Amino acid sequence: MSSPKMELVNGNEAIARGAIAAGCKFYFGYPITPQNEIPEYLSKHLPEVGGTFIQAESEIASVNMLLGAGATGARAMTSSSSPGISLKQEGISYLAGSEIPGVIVNMSRSGPGLGGISPSQGDYFQATRGGGHGDYRTLVLAPFSVQENYDLTALAFDLADKYRNPVVILADALLGQMKEPIILRPVTPQSFDKSWALTGAKGRPPQFLKSLYLNEGDLTRHNWKLFQKYQQMKAEIRFETDLTDDARMVVVAFGSVARIIKTSIRMAREEGMQVGLFRPITLFPYPEEALFRLSQKVDHFFVVELNTGQMVEDVKLSVDKGARVDFYGRPPGSIPTPDDLLEEIRKVY
Amino acid sequence: MVDERGKVFLMPKLVFREERCKGCGLCVLACPKKCLEITKKLNNQGYPVAGLVDPDRCNGCALCAEMCPDLVIEVWK
Repeated sequence: MSSPKMELVNGNEAIARGAIAAGCKFYFGYPITPQNEIPEYLSKHLPEVGGTFIQAESEIASVNMLLGAGATGARAMTSSSSPGISLKQEGISYLAGSEIPGVIVNMSRSGPGLGGISPSQGDYFQATRGGGHGDYRTLVLAPFSVQENYDLTALAFDLADKYRNPVVILADALLGQMKEPIILRPVTPQSFDKSWALTGAKGRPPQFLKSLYLNEGDLTRHNWKLFQKYQQMKAEIRFETDLTDDARMVVVAFGSVARIIKTSIRMAREEGMQVGLFRPITLFPYPEEALFRLSQKVDHFFVVELNTGQMVEDVKLSVDKGARVDFYGRPPGSIPTPDDLLEEIRKVY
Repeated sequence: MVDERGKVFLMPKLVFREERCKGCGLCVLACPKKCLEITKKLNNQGYPVAGLVDPDRCNGCALCAEMCPDLVIEVWK
């Protein structure tokens, strides 16, 4: 059997290629470092597959174009990085409220404000708690390799259609800029009932999509309906465990820092420390049950993030009350090396 | 140019396509002569770019160019 063909791909390009593989036909964006390779690739290659690429006049315009394209039932995507994603929050709230699918990629950089262009995980709260106004959630996928950038972007389109909800890919500058050999697996996009889509009302009564509910009781019912949907999304929970079977301490990390600390964990093992890794891939819904089950076996957790403490709250809410939860945070501006994180493991182990 | 063993060689020339650089520093790690650095100069994307800070020590081995994932560096001998 021949080994599958691999290609050396930039992390942002992998996102763009995953989108095309999943049948994305519309992309709307506005440039920002460190995600410019996504629009760069799609501007050339989306028209080749019959798609439309638009560089909008702003982030706000591009997310509203996403809403418009999604309302017609088309597969569409926008991407940006942290400050640009803040601008898109209004549109994301309207997508969630109107139950319109759409894929939003956040190749996050550092903040607050303009911050910098180095990697950061400071957008965890924004991504997992809704982000815009109103009581809504987005499904959040967190890749940790260029391969996952490709695979999870392709998956995001199916999940957006399945739940009629915006799906956020939360990666960062590191995952966008690194290059790795990946397998560009062919993707078979799932098809879903889209009788709700606005397609011109030919041969059917007119219909509309909205997020405004003024009649008494309607908005309550609508919010409960959305809540039920977010509960159902728990079927999509994904996570990775590594070396947890005999672990005395489990590191909990996602995205780029999980990638770095995987190496540190190997080094710690060589020093005889029984350390494992729990890596959430869906950040919303959070794999709280899996983490709880693990905490009945292991009573020491070590959360590591590229921020001053966000996901650690979800870990504390998930694990058994008796478990000890330590935290190491690295705010943006420098990327920890495997040696740095090994040192932190030594301190708490 | 004369190297440390007294051997005469032509001074190599390094060309940096700075707009492609993301300042990852892999070239700095790859350079056996430690003559590269991430400079304070920013490109249009906002990344601090790699540069040759000690040209006298460069022997044109091209390991930096070999290592660079973004094809920033060309070495002329």
